[in-house]
Amino acid sequence: MKKPDDEPQDQLSVTPPRTWAVGVPAVVHALEYSLRQTSPLKAGVDLLTMNQVDGIDCPGCAWADPSPGHRHRNEYCENGAKHINDEATTRRITADFFREHSVSELSRRSDMWLNQQGRLTRPMVKRPDSDHYEPISWNDAFGLLATELNALDSPDEAVFYTSGRASNEAAFVLQLFARAFGTNNLPDCSNMCHESSGFALHETLGTGKGTVSLHDIHHADLIFLVGQNPGTNHPRQLSALEQAKRNGARIIAVNPLPEAGLLRFKNPQKPRGVIGRGVQIADRFLHIRVGGDLALFQALNLLLLQAEDARPGQVLDHEFIRANTSGFEEFAAHARNLSWDDVLAATGLTRTEIEQVRDDVLRSRRIVVCWAMGITQHKNGVATIREIVNFLLLRGNVGRAGTGACPVRGHSNVQGDRTMGIWERMPDSFLDALQREFGFDPPRAHGLDSVNAIRAMREGRVKVFLGLAGNFVRAAPDTSVTEAAVRTCRLTAHISTKLNRSHLVCGQTALILPTLGRTERDVQACGEQFVTVENSMSEVHTSRGRLKPASPLLLSEVAILCRLARRTLGGKADIPWERFEADYGTIRERIGRIVPGLHDFNRRVVRPGGIQLPNPVNEGVFRTAVGKALFTCNTPEAPHVPDGHLLLQTLRSHDQWNTIPYTPDDRYRGIHGSRRVVLVNPDDLKDLGLTEGQHVDLVGVWTDGTERRADDFTVVPYPTSRGCAAAYYPETQVLVPLDSVADISNQPTSKAVVVRLEPTAARATAGQGVPASA
Amino acid sequence: MITIEETIDIAVPVRTVYDQWTQFKSFPRFMTMVKRVDQVKPNITTWVVGKGPVCREFEAEIVEQQPDSHVSWRSLGCTPSHEGQVTFRPTADGGGTTVEVRLDLRPRGAAGALAAVPWLTRRVVRAELKRFTEYIEGMGQAGGSWRETIRGGHVHARQAEPPRSRVAGWPVG
Repeated sequence: MKKPDDEPQDQLSVTPPRTWAVGVPAVVHALEYSLRQTSPLKAGVDLLTMNQVDGIDCPGCAWADPSPGHRHRNEYCENGAKHINDEATTRRITADFFREHSVSELSRRSDMWLNQQGRLTRPMVKRPDSDHYEPISWNDAFGLLATELNALDSPDEAVFYTSGRASNEAAFVLQLFARAFGTNNLPDCSNMCHESSGFALHETLGTGKGTVSLHDIHHADLIFLVGQNPGTNHPRQLSALEQAKRNGARIIAVNPLPEAGLLRFKNPQKPRGVIGRGVQIADRFLHIRVGGDLALFQALNLLLLQAEDARPGQVLDHEFIRANTSGFEEFAAHARNLSWDDVLAATGLTRTEIEQVRDDVLRSRRIVVCWAMGITQHKNGVATIREIVNFLLLRGNVGRAGTGACPVRGHSNVQGDRTMGIWERMPDSFLDALQREFGFDPPRAHGLDSVNAIRAMREGRVKVFLGLAGNFVRAAPDTSVTEAAVRTCRLTAHISTKLNRSHLVCGQTALILPTLGRTERDVQACGEQFVTVENSMSEVHTSRGRLKPASPLLLSEVAILCRLARRTLGGKADIPWERFEADYGTIRERIGRIVPGLHDFNRRVVRPGGIQLPNPVNEGVFRTAVGKALFTCNTPEAPHVPDGHLLLQTLRSHDQWNTIPYTPDDRYRGIHGSRRVVLVNPDDLKDLGLTEGQHVDLVGVWTDGTERRADDFTVVPYPTSRGCAAAYYPETQVLVPLDSVADISNQPTSKAVVVRLEPTAARATAGQGVPASA
Repeated sequence: MITIEETIDIAVPVRTVYDQWTQFKSFPRFMTMVKRVDQVKPNITTWVVGKGPVCREFEAEIVEQQPDSHVSWRSLGCTPSHEGQVTFRPTADGGGTTVEVRLDLRPRGAAGALAAVPWLTRRVVRAELKRFTEYIEGMGQAGGSWRETIRGGHVHARQAEPPRSRVAGWPVG
């Protein structure tokens, strides 16, 4: 067994940012990390079955796989390879580990160190009067959790959180258990990533999901990549973009940072990617200010309306607008009031740059817009996506081949979990179907999303927290507030594969319920099982692990939830938990009867490639309030950034998966050996009187008067857009106020935090003490 | 560009012939040059056509489709290799269907070189149409149907909730 890495020491070195992504170095880094974690044999099994038909679905991201027959032998990316072998590690955490390390001591360790300790191998409990986790049998763990749940004054005092790694089967069982128990408190990580997309698309197009397939990406004439970083967060998207470029597409990247993956891609599976220059990705890069995207699309829409004025009947798709949309006249009148001064201030772009984009649009018959959290995690996230939909509707760029809306999701099954009913506000149609199928009355009152769950914990209204995968404490905003809120719980329990901060910042009693990973064989009473997942393009397919489980004491997520449900509910509802655990096919049978579009689930999902869920928009159906696609009127609302302040976006490094860094390096951005850096435009540094390498505290500014401080960050001059800064998540989550959320979607605004940079030395000299920090 | 036009009379009513034509995935069952068809969306299909080592895969967009009247398509890609249209109209006696196929080819690649030989392509199209005729006349009924309309590449649904649109309708975060 390989020894875990030591706690890394901060030794920052900075090199120029890369101007291309992937290539041979990506292969080398992926293999290096994989072989540090596990044996060559296990790494080989994982990698060669990853994203293959009947293989393991990579938990790294939700990008769609090519059709069967068109997949590479190595159908994964650097980050997927690291992630899968991080899970397949040969390192183990045993009971001895917890005897040697108290919770207090572990709390002082970094996220990276905690992750590096290896796989959890048996259930553990931390009692209220103890600072150590100790072993507990599964039977006692379920008994403890069930007793606490049943002792609550109301089922609404419990919260059931889901991370997007959970399979469809586990997600369905969890929501069924929560609702049979009596609550809709089902927050999930979607609340913090693409909630704004769901609300905006559902309102305007009548579907919460993206409308494109890989074929649309391949055959688009023009692709926008807005507020996303494919090189790090969805590297396999680069292959689709490469294909699109080969078919003649142009790509416009819109981002406050010139990310390597937006500029050039060297595909390591092709000679030109190994020894050649690779493929240029962005033909045009718009170096936009953080949060300026709404103004950009409004300006584009105005320019299209004006182009139509100049060439009537030649610019807009009048037949489509007439037949399929509503609200065009109001939208057009609203759009014509746009102030160019406001647009230029919000975007930081020139009018010429925006007009050049308009010309690209006018030359293109087929347009796809892709976006991610650079759009959704803003106060106006929903409004921005609605404006993107306006942009698409104007020229009929939805529903046709090579067109559409493409929210690019992170967690591999974050979309599927929602399809399975993990949502705190499920419609009556779904709850009615549950009632018919299982014969109990699901609660109808809406439950708590992630932000409201933290508020409820803080106010003592939630006493039990169960997390299905994920690292809630680190993923949630306002770290100090979240940590304090979680600590008020009587009991927290996490179904996890590896140790993370959420096990250490816990309730009075805490349970670790160790579970199988995606890579592992899942054998139940009826034999070996597989699970299913849904990717960003609504393809539902199987995932089957091949490796021997990390410990014989591990239970699958489904088994844990079914046993917990049996123990908690007793005979309260007529739900065959035991059969569900023994044979996941019986869960899928029920899903097929409840979730529209998944009829005959078991038979169809095992076909190569699985089930392509239709998207109503592509069937010519807009299930909005008026039965047509909606044009909307949106008003930009830029955050007020006082003089001497910057607008900070939080972001992931290249060597990181969600909340977990694998190393302190971010080689595409040229940052090595430290994560406590803040990237600032050199001109802003000059204006602020700061110098390269200076140590600063990031101090958040928010309306509640609370000082939020992330201390001791090193200033790195970086080509961010003017007035903006960037620093790594989750270290900077401490700066994101819990109440700073997107309108309508209630999604934390982690991409737009007003901060000032205070020299660390000055604070120490002034004797202000050491504030709470992440 | 090479244009191929072929016409055939089928002793089956228009509706039946049209409905069978919309079942693209069934084409390999009776055509010898069509190896595989997948329907990605109502308006996108992928085709593998050819014989032996000369096989070609392409994707096609249906641009116009009017039930019992016509289907027109074009292949996708940076330099589309062909466009096509098939029309259906009742025969003079009213009981059968005249099917007219028109292909505009811009041959590319090895398979394209063969397609560039007009008499050969015409022969292939004629033979495949004949197989389609034998199939639908032999069956006497279509194996399925899709009766929505496509105009300008957009599907226009006849009903508010066609069966395939019945999927989870709640927002997805």
